[in-house]
Formats: sequence, structure tokens, C-alpha cells
Amino acid sequence: MAEVLLENINKNFGKIKAVDDFCLQIMDKEFIVFVGPSGCGKSTTLRMIAGLEEISSGNISIDQRIVNNTHPKNRDIAMVFQNYALYPHLSVRENISFGIRAQKLPKNEITSRTLEAAKILGLDELLDRRPGELSGGQKQRVAMGRAIVRKPKVFLFDEPLSNLDAKLRHKMRVEMKKLHQQVQTTTIYVTHDQVEAMTLADRIVIMKDGKIEQVGSPDEVYHKPNSQFVASFIGSPAMNFISGTLEFLNNRNSLICDGGEMIDLVDWPDLVGSKLTMGIRPEHMELKTEKSSKVINTVLDAKVSVLEPMGHEVIVTCDSNVGEVIGKYTGNTKLKVGQTIHFEFKKENIHFFDENSGKRVS
Amino acid sequence: MFVSFWNKLSINQKLAITAWLFLAVPIVFYVCIRFYPTFEAFYVSTLKWNLLGAKKYIGLRNYEKIFADEDFWLVLLNTFKYAGLGVPISLFIAFCVAYFLNEITRWHDFIRALYFIPFLTTAVAMAWVWKWFYQPLPIGYFNFFLNYLGIAQQPFLKSVTQGLYAIMAPAVWAGLGFQVVIFIAGIRAIPRSYYEAAEIDGAGRWQILREITLPSLKPTVIFLTVVSTIGFLRIFDQVYSMTTNGDGGPLNTTKPIVLMIYEFAFDEFKIGRASALTVILFVILLVISMFQLWLMRKKP
Repeated sequence: MAEVLLENINKNFGKIKAVDDFCLQIMDKEFIVFVGPSGCGKSTTLRMIAGLEEISSGNISIDQRIVNNTHPKNRDIAMVFQNYALYPHLSVRENISFGIRAQKLPKNEITSRTLEAAKILGLDELLDRRPGELSGGQKQRVAMGRAIVRKPKVFLFDEPLSNLDAKLRHKMRVEMKKLHQQVQTTTIYVTHDQVEAMTLADRIVIMKDGKIEQVGSPDEVYHKPNSQFVASFIGSPAMNFISGTLEFLNNRNSLICDGGEMIDLVDWPDLVGSKLTMGIRPEHMELKTEKSSKVINTVLDAKVSVLEPMGHEVIVTCDSNVGEVIGKYTGNTKLKVGQTIHFEFKKENIHFFDENSGKRVS
Repeated sequence: MFVSFWNKLSINQKLAITAWLFLAVPIVFYVCIRFYPTFEAFYVSTLKWNLLGAKKYIGLRNYEKIFADEDFWLVLLNTFKYAGLGVPISLFIAFCVAYFLNEITRWHDFIRALYFIPFLTTAVAMAWVWKWFYQPLPIGYFNFFLNYLGIAQQPFLKSVTQGLYAIMAPAVWAGLGFQVVIFIAGIRAIPRSYYEAAEIDGAGRWQILREITLPSLKPTVIFLTVVSTIGFLRIFDQVYSMTTNGDGGPLNTTKPIVLMIYEFAFDEFKIGRASALTVILFVILLVISMFQLWLMRKKP
């Protein structure tokens, strides 16, 4: 159990800045997820914590001990790799016990700890098999077994579920969460999948171009994204964005869109004159087939162009005079392509970002 | 007619016919150039024939004569010494070179090229250079160094006990480049994450070598063992070039089977007996290769 402290971490590959002034305090027992598009530096950061990659500057501490120049094996960490890194010629038992055999623990302790780890992961029946005889999910579990058997201070996971199919991924996600609740070890988890990040994390670190965009609980990053990038990255389908200038016209605030179109905004903060990007999540676009008589919300008229039925809901892609917008619809009325509909959105569900910096302004 | 026939075939049949058409050329070539002479050798091995005169069928007399020949058993032993020592020694050295060469990045390509050059060089040219190295003082380098270190001169190629090893050395050296390159390719094919996982788990160099590198290289080792065993069992150039008059001396102590075949055929013109010995070598190669493949395939 340990706290991990990252202070002003930089990593340069030649002229490329892979990680730029990364600062983060990871609490004891916390499950933290680094998420971001490929090349954002999340894996590099994880590998620096592991000691597989040297840091260019800054300080990494694990359990209040600076480990900048400590060999990986002396950092008391365990890592699970994307391709599992199981040794094909060793049995499950030998794979799981690899680390504790390397530590030269007494034989009976090796046996008992291997069995204990196997039991936690439901691998007791498979101990004598070779990795080649296992399914993807089982291999994944062996890889986790190899990590937990060492009882390290910190678990590091590098995209551990991305080689699994969708169904298995969900199952392993649940198992991973259970495992963390059981062993309560500080965990740092890297993924490019925002669903994994949202479902697993106590806190999410969203990265872009080597920098932290936002750190927060899944709730915070979803409901209060710091920037347009975070807003677009978290949530599926992605948030709708409409750019324009906020003006005070006819006694009310209006967003004059870049194309010259105007959206009347009901009850809006005082940011008149600013160039803004307005963001609304598809799930917050309330779809009405009839226009309400009493306007209390902001309304956007649109024409249905594509319908994607998902069973419990329909994803509706529409053309509007401010560009393409996407909404979700759970109502009973059957929609038709070409039909005119009205989206209403409430004040509390609208996000405003500065058009230049992309930062949140309200 | 042809078009309508072709259109009636299934996709698999069409693929098979196309494949066989392309294979036909090398098959014809191999049958004429390789397989026919091989089978011809089986036939010739039952003849008494001096290449020009009449052929006389004598059954298995050639084989009987070979097995009754004391020299044959010495030559057979020599051949097995070349392979039995040459293969493990060369594989061990090649692995060590590849293992350490893989760990450096600076000069890597240049050093690898240096190791590969002997493989590209003519065996005869190399053999002559080595023969010169082995000369007594004041010419030979090796004896010069021994002398410098205060050790007595060695006869090397002139000795019945050292001759075979003196010839084996350049043979090992010549094949090294090829083996190193194959080993490096094998080592590089091992996923990096195996090593990273081991590093984090705290495995030492020895555990990594024993539990990861060597087992992962098993297919490479099998391939190199089979190929170089065949190579050493067919050793000829080095012996022919480095021994006096190319006779596999002194006293036949360095003579391998192929040299004996050559002498039967082109010194004594006993073509039938040479063919019989060729067949024997063929059987030995076949049995050993099959045995190695079987031995190494047992465990995954």
C-alpha cells in the first residue's frame, strides 16, 4: 500500500516532448486511470513509474521514497502488459510464481502464495496448463495473478483489456474492480477507452500531447469537463459543439453562430461579445416531435438524417442550420428520416468553452 | 474448349492448377539436376566401374569392401568428431556473440558484418590463410604468439592429435557469421515485454537467460543444429586445402567421408565404391537429421 507522487515529470525523446511537466499525487489504495488518445504520453508516464523508461527531469516517489534512479525490481511494483507477456514455455503455475521465484522466497511460501493468487482469480484448475492452451480471458487472469502474487505496493496496468473482445472486456472490467476492492492496492491503469476509464477509476487523468487536461472523478470529468477536449473525449456518442458569438439582441442573449444563424438562449450568463463554443451531450438533447408552446428552454430545430436503433434507445443524427447534431431518443413515437424535430436543452446541461483556448468558461 | 473447361473448375481447383504450373519448373529442374543423380548413385554403387570402361554389376561388394576397410572406420570417426564437436562449439560461440552483440547499439551493424564476412569468403582462400597461421616459426602467427608467451611451438596441422582440431577451427569460424545472424534474428523476435516483465519481477540475468531467452530460441537452435550438423558432416574444402597434397593426413587423421569419396572417385577411379560411400553418407545424414528433429520436437 502506498502513495505515488509525480512531481514535474518531463520526458523527451530527442526533440519530441512526450510528457510535459506532469504533476500528480496518487493516494494510497486509489484506482487511478490515465486516459487519452494514442501518443498522449499516458503509457510513457506509466513506464516511467515502472522504471522501464528514464525520466528526463522531475521526481517520482513511491511510498515517500524517491525512485528516479531505482531499478524496476526495487520499486516494489507489479505491471500487467497489453500482450500479457506470459512465457509460452512455462506453465501457469511457473508464470504466476516467476516473480516470487526471482525473489528467492522459501519454497513453501512460493507454493502457498501461488495457490492463493490462483484461487482469487479462479485459476486453480489451470495451474499446469501452458499459456497456449488458455483463452484470452484466462491469459489475462494469469497476467494479473503474476502481479498480485508479489503483493506489491503499486499495480501498473498498461491497456490490459484491449486484446479482448467486447463481451469479455466487460467481464474482466468487473473482475478487475472486484479484485481492487479485495486487495486494495494502489493501482495505476492506462487505457485509451473512456468507458474503461469511467467505470474503473476513482479518479481519471485525461491527457493530451503529454500534458494533463483534467484530473477528477468520473462524475466531475463528465459533468464539468475543464476543456473542450475533455468534453469531446468523455462520453459516447461525443458531445455536440456549436461555435458562435454571444450577443444581446431583442432583450435576450443569443448565440450568433459562425454561419450567421442565431440560437435564442433562454436564461444565459453574461458573457456578451465573447467567441464561444457551446457543448451539449447527446443524452441531454431532449427530443420533441412537437414544438412546446411555452419556451422555457433553449430550442434547436433539426431534420433527422440517420437513425441508429440500439434497442433501449435510438441515436438520432440530424441536420440543423448550425451543422450536424446528435441526440439520443428513448420515446415511443417512431421517428422517420427527413422528419423535422426540436431539441430542447436545459441551462444546466450546456457547457461553454472559450473558442480559442478551449477552456471552460462557465 | 479450354475456357469452358477452366470455367467449370471450382476456385480451389483453379488455385491448385495455378500453383502446380508454377511449381512445375523447379520440380523439373530438381528432378533432373538433383534427384536423378541421387538415384543414379544408388545404381552405380552396385557397379564396378572406372568411369571409362565397361560397367560390371557386382551387387553389394562395394559396401562389403568399404565396411572391411580399416580406413573407413577411422574416416567415419573423424567425420563424427568434426560434427560432434564443431556443432556444439560453434553454436555456443555464436549464441554468446549474438547475445552480447544484441545488447549493444553502437557499432552493432559493423560488428555483425565483420562476423558475417567469413561466411561470404571462399573456403579455400580462408583455409590457405589459416594454413599459413599454423606454420612453424618464423612464419606462423599462432606459434609466434605461443613463443612470445613462452610456450613451446606446436605442430598443429602436422600432428595426428592436433590436426583435426586445427582444421575444425576455421570451419567453425567460417560458419559463425551465419549462425550469429540467425541467433540475433531469433533473439530480436522475442517480445520486449517478456524482458520488461521479468525486469519488474526482479529476475536476474541468469533466470532471464534460462527461463526466457533460451526456451524462446528453441526453434532457432533446432534449425541451426540440423543445418550445421549437415554442414560439418559434409566438411571437405578445409581439409582438402589445409592438408599436404589434400590427402586428409597426417595418416588419415583429418580425413572426412567426403574426402574419401573424392579419392575413390578421382584418384583411384573406383566410381562404384565412391557411389556406395556417398549412399552411406546420405543415410547417415538422413538418420541424424530425422533423429534431431524428433528429439527436439518432443516438448513444445
